[in-house]
Amino acid sequence: MSTLILGIETSCDETAAAVVEADGVVQSSVVSSQADLHARYGGVVPEIASRRHLELVAPVVRAALEDAGVALDDVDRVGVTQGPGLVGALLVGLSAAKAIAWARGLPLVPVDHLRGHVATLYLAPDPLDPPFTCLLASGGHTLLLSVREREGYEVLGSTLDDAAGEAFDKGARLLGLGYPGGAEIDRLARDGDPEAYSFPVARVAGLDLSFSGLKTALLHAVRGLTETDLAARRADLAASYQRAIVRALAGRLRAAVERTGHETVAVVGGVAANSELRAALPDARFAPLELCTDNAAMIASAARFARAVEPPGYLALDAYPSAPL
Amino acid sequence: MLVLAFDTATDVATSALLEDAEVLGERASVAKTLLEDVDALLRQASARPADIEALVVGTGPGSFTSTRIGLAVARGLALALDVAGAGVSTLDALAAGAEGALPVIDARRREVFVPGAGAVAPEDLDVAGRLCVGDGALRYRDVLEAKGAAIPPDDDIRHLPRASLHARLVTAYGRVDEIEPIYARAPDARRWRG
Repeated sequence: MSTLILGIETSCDETAAAVVEADGVVQSSVVSSQADLHARYGGVVPEIASRRHLELVAPVVRAALEDAGVALDDVDRVGVTQGPGLVGALLVGLSAAKAIAWARGLPLVPVDHLRGHVATLYLAPDPLDPPFTCLLASGGHTLLLSVREREGYEVLGSTLDDAAGEAFDKGARLLGLGYPGGAEIDRLARDGDPEAYSFPVARVAGLDLSFSGLKTALLHAVRGLTETDLAARRADLAASYQRAIVRALAGRLRAAVERTGHETVAVVGGVAANSELRAALPDARFAPLELCTDNAAMIASAARFARAVEPPGYLALDAYPSAPL
Repeated sequence: MLVLAFDTATDVATSALLEDAEVLGERASVAKTLLEDVDALLRQASARPADIEALVVGTGPGSFTSTRIGLAVARGLALALDVAGAGVSTLDALAAGAEGALPVIDARRREVFVPGAGAVAPEDLDVAGRLCVGDGALRYRDVLEAKGAAIPPDDDIRHLPRASLHARLVTAYGRVDEIEPIYARAPDARRWRG
């Protein structure tokens, strides 16, 4: 049997484990989402997320092994998200992963969550070959990347304030929609007129992005409306708001391609699931829908291209909250 | 039976390796490097991870994140080694190490954890004539001594929830996945602004 990697991911509100072969074949991918738990707060509550990760981490790892039809004996290394993310949440997965690897004398591969999103593209059946220009857009991050090798990437630009997924979540809250907001806005926008409102997209130098002004514009538009008017215009507002975000992302991605010269374009992260963004970039390679949001198959995939640490070298490993510059 | 015990609920993470009631080794550091201590304990005893037959883990109360590190390590070890375990309250372990004493654990935000009361202000404790131990007793030494408590010197070992004490309090082992942390305080319902 080929080399097997057990991946574990607990950086935000998904507890996930997966078994992936060294050649990129996903044998199993289990994701236990806590979205329902956080919905009443309109966003992720760190302490609640961490408590839930502890309850779920062992059952989710067991389920991933079972779904793959393998035992821990068959696993050759453990890949785990080290950061960025919520530290309390990361530490649950990292501590469990260290313990599993140490107990079995296995190497551990600490994985950067953002590299994990990009590594979704390297999974079978159709792994993407660098070089390519990549947009990574999620609830926590929005980055434009030049990817020349599977081991890493160069950051060309990023959001100066809210992440694209965060802009969707905040917009959804202003419109009185549920959490997570991206899917809700996407659904509602299908019934609305994307040109009904003209929301400004901030012009920022270089390849960076900014979404805070857009959120404010939506706030002003909503403020002037009565409850009845809001109900009548909600779909138009959602469609116009989504159009503005998609335009900003697609525009920056095109500018990034001009900079890199890498004609191949890819989109990963939770926002890659957005139907309008997918339609706006017909030639781009998108992460498969089920692997857009956080999962552990992407972490195991990234572990194929990151340095493995032999025991006991990883026993003091700590999580990191922010993306390294 | 080779038993591995540890407690990461407070700022000092303790660990111990026991052969039945005999303590083979004890260590203290911090939660994030717990497994280094565990690795060293096993090496000293010329044992391998697979030789571990049962786990004992401190369940707090203490720091949320820190308590969870110990429990996540326990869950990972149990999954990998297929061993049973037991949870022991950090307060019970402290009490077992200092006869007749009131265990007091720092709960941050100017509160402490004591048995049966959740998080309380140290000023509200009735400690006249009582021996108090634990990092909460140390942090609020002035307040508690003013109320008539006796508190051993800072470096007194009775202030540490030594993991060998946890191991001695175990009466039965069960599934490690079912060992729950004692948070003793509701989570802050504040959203994360990334």
